Amino acid sequence: MVVYRIENVHLAYPGGFCLVVPYLSLAEGKVLAVIGPNGAGKTTLLNTLAFFERPKGALIELFGKRLKKPQIDLNLRRLISVVFPRPYLLNDTVFNNIALPLRIRGIRNTAAVGQACEDFKIAHLKTKNALKISHGEMHRVALARALVTQPRLLLMDEPFSSLDPRYKDTLITDLRRTIRDNHLTTVFVTQDQSEALRLGDEICVMKNGRILQRDLPSRLFSHPASRDVADFVGIETIIEGQVVKKEDNLCSVKINGTTLEAISACERGDNVFVCIRPEDVIISRQDEATSARNRFKAKIIKIEPWMLEYKVAIEAGFPLVSFVTKQSIESLNLKPEKEIFVSFKATAIHLIKR
Amino acid sequence: MQFILDGIQKGIHLTATLDPQVMVIVKLSLFVSALATAIAVVIAVPLGSLIAIKKFSGKKLAIALINTGMGLPPVVVGLVVTLFLSRYGPLGFLHWLYTPIGMVLAQVIIATPIITGLSMAAVQSVEQKFFLQIIALGATTRQALWIVLKEIRLSVLAAVIAGFGSIISEVGAVMMVGGNIKGQTRVLTTAVVLETHMGNIDIAIALSLILLTMSFIVNLTLTFIQQRKAR
Repeated sequence: MVVYRIENVHLAYPGGFCLVVPYLSLAEGKVLAVIGPNGAGKTTLLNTLAFFERPKGALIELFGKRLKKPQIDLNLRRLISVVFPRPYLLNDTVFNNIALPLRIRGIRNTAAVGQACEDFKIAHLKTKNALKISHGEMHRVALARALVTQPRLLLMDEPFSSLDPRYKDTLITDLRRTIRDNHLTTVFVTQDQSEALRLGDEICVMKNGRILQRDLPSRLFSHPASRDVADFVGIETIIEGQVVKKEDNLCSVKINGTTLEAISACERGDNVFVCIRPEDVIISRQDEATSARNRFKAKIIKIEPWMLEYKVAIEAGFPLVSFVTKQSIESLNLKPEKEIFVSFKATAIHLIKR
Repeated sequence: MQFILDGIQKGIHLTATLDPQVMVIVKLSLFVSALATAIAVVIAVPLGSLIAIKKFSGKKLAIALINTGMGLPPVVVGLVVTLFLSRYGPLGFLHWLYTPIGMVLAQVIIATPIITGLSMAAVQSVEQKFFLQIIALGATTRQALWIVLKEIRLSVLAAVIAGFGSIISEVGAVMMVGGNIKGQTRVLTTAVVLETHMGNIDIAIALSLILLTMSFIVNLTLTFIQQRKAR
């Protein structure tokens, strides 16, 4: 079900920047990740969705209601929560900070505040001053505050950009669970592809104020619609899989009918995205014994020039991409339909937990 | 030299014994300036905050006017208010000239731009995104403004104290509008001027000491507030 639909959004700024969105819709309970380089218009798009910007002549339909005036009704606006890159907390206790959106609505609901604290594992901080806790904890408070009202739409603008990676990881896990549990429609802006992959059901790539492509994560990376998209997302191979076995740090990941081995902290049973960089994929003519733990018989699909090298698309039971030099193409006599072997090390695979 | 020392000694004595003649003056001073500050706050804090957050044409002009107002010479305010309140002036029917109410009016005019300017600066010091975040949590503009003002309450308090400090110590406006009538409109500053002219150095010194002490307390409070913020 579509909960939010905008059409004909055209916002021009004095500096020459222009946001042009002919059509965008959000499906209920789905998470849309918006990625793109700096100045792509990601934040402007989010601000438009949050009604901070009022595009003239745009069609906006929210929760089945067509908005006639450019102003939004307060009760409708209160179904939306927005999270900014910085937490912007009040000089007050964590509890009072999280209770703020409820108080604004004239509601006293200690249980809801307690639940939000539990969801983000900050119950032990309730009585502390929100400006005297750690940076990461502040972000948790900001998220708990945004979700305490049980909004129907969550908009987040680079919510983890200033967090260190290890802290970010657990926070994303908690946020993802809360979003899923509440079946919460979410749009979030990020510059980080792995964040987009971890949270997004769909990914939308923006550049110069326009949406270039919106697709399922695995499709976006394997089939970038344009050179601009490919340039931004890289042409890393990204495949969905599941960890079926784990010994020490060595994970066996099942994709389609094949099993890969990868070094990762992921656990058995985790659904993951398997990421393999083209420069790590080695092509050989015979099945040579090497230290690489992953070796597959494969077939070349396509060879095309890419920057100063050649990009070789390979089918090995799953799609793969490799970069090779002109010299290698000649010496190995590579051409489409040719049967080859590919190998890559277990350490070359990067797993992103879903 | 001796008469100065004598004056100081007698002044301290008058202050310490809460001399009734002195206390009447102190009470009226406090009453007029406190009431004027209270009225100015009600006008100035919302006005300053609104100018800070709203986008409107002529905003720069408004800010320039307020900044000019922050330095209004009290004696000019006194003159204008006197002219308006005088028997044949536009507000003559109020019969406020030479009354404490007239003095309050004059001091409100002096304090309002000061408190407006300082609270405007205080609200402007808050990041626009902070304000936007409060709005994004479902607040109306009025709710968001209230939350932001509470957040910067120390700066707002500093603005209020600065306003009070400026009017408790001014002499020009209260002199002209109040007329320095004994027991009715005589306040600390006007009394100091009169007693000095009359040669009552001891009383003048006593009143000055009280005024200085008040000024010191005001500044001490301001310093404490600023130090607390800096922490």
